[in-house]
Amino acid sequence: MTIDATMVGRSYAAAESYQVGREKIREFADAIGDPNPAYRGDDAVAPPTFAFMLGSRALEQLLNDEELGLRLDRIVHGAQKFSYTRPIKAGDDIAATATITTVRKAGDVEVIMYETALTTVDGDPIATSTSTISHNRGES
Amino acid sequence: MVIEVGTELPPLTVTFRRDDLVRYAGASGDFNPIHWSDRMAGALGLPGVIAHGMLTMASAVRVVTDWISDPADLIEYGVRFTKPVVVPDDDKGVNVTFSAKVDKVADGRAEIDITAVAGEEKVLGRARAVVRVR
Repeated sequence: MTIDATMVGRSYAAAESYQVGREKIREFADAIGDPNPAYRGDDAVAPPTFAFMLGSRALEQLLNDEELGLRLDRIVHGAQKFSYTRPIKAGDDIAATATITTVRKAGDVEVIMYETALTTVDGDPIATSTSTISHNRGES
Repeated sequence: MVIEVGTELPPLTVTFRRDDLVRYAGASGDFNPIHWSDRMAGALGLPGVIAHGMLTMASAVRVVTDWISDPADLIEYGVRFTKPVVVPDDDKGVNVTFSAKVDKVADGRAEIDITAVAGEEKVLGRARAVVRVR
């Protein structure tokens, strides 16, 4: 079992949409130690890296794809990028779809880039999360 | 506020202790044991428990979002995770210092380079934020 360039373009939608709650945003802002008032109250927006949590939910689908044979405990997060159309805010109901965009091999290590499109459930764009992960298959 | 090439943003130093990692794990849902178990971190060849890269990334962008008046003006943000931030199991924790400088201003956008240093080492590479200039 391995992963190669033929898997570029595979797409995985998160099983359920993510309903963003005001208190979840506050909890996340507290956890990153950020006192910015924009992240609190009725009109709270989420801190920029909150978007990664939704990307990870789509990534779970990728991890569940047995043909890829990826293991979470063999993955190192190498790089992360976000492009924002608008901030995530309390009350948003968000759909996340991850797509494999690049696969590169270096010995036992597979460097995989995947993009997660975050949209409202109606399809309006919110943000794109681009992640680069190194997966050490460790078979040799 | 003047945004021009070379403008330095106010720096920020944060301290990560083990309880911060536990809190981040809970809030983010990332329970990878390398962020709370010395045994598991050691088994993967790490020098000890390390901070979540996404926690370091979240702290780094505060230099930018503290500076612009509205976080909604952030258009792009990316980093490379180049060195792990090792968090000791003591009360002192580890300090990470973030600084940033405007690298380019054009077409209503400002590109800002961010530097993150723990101890003597840069822990992020190519950390860059793009903000809308009003």
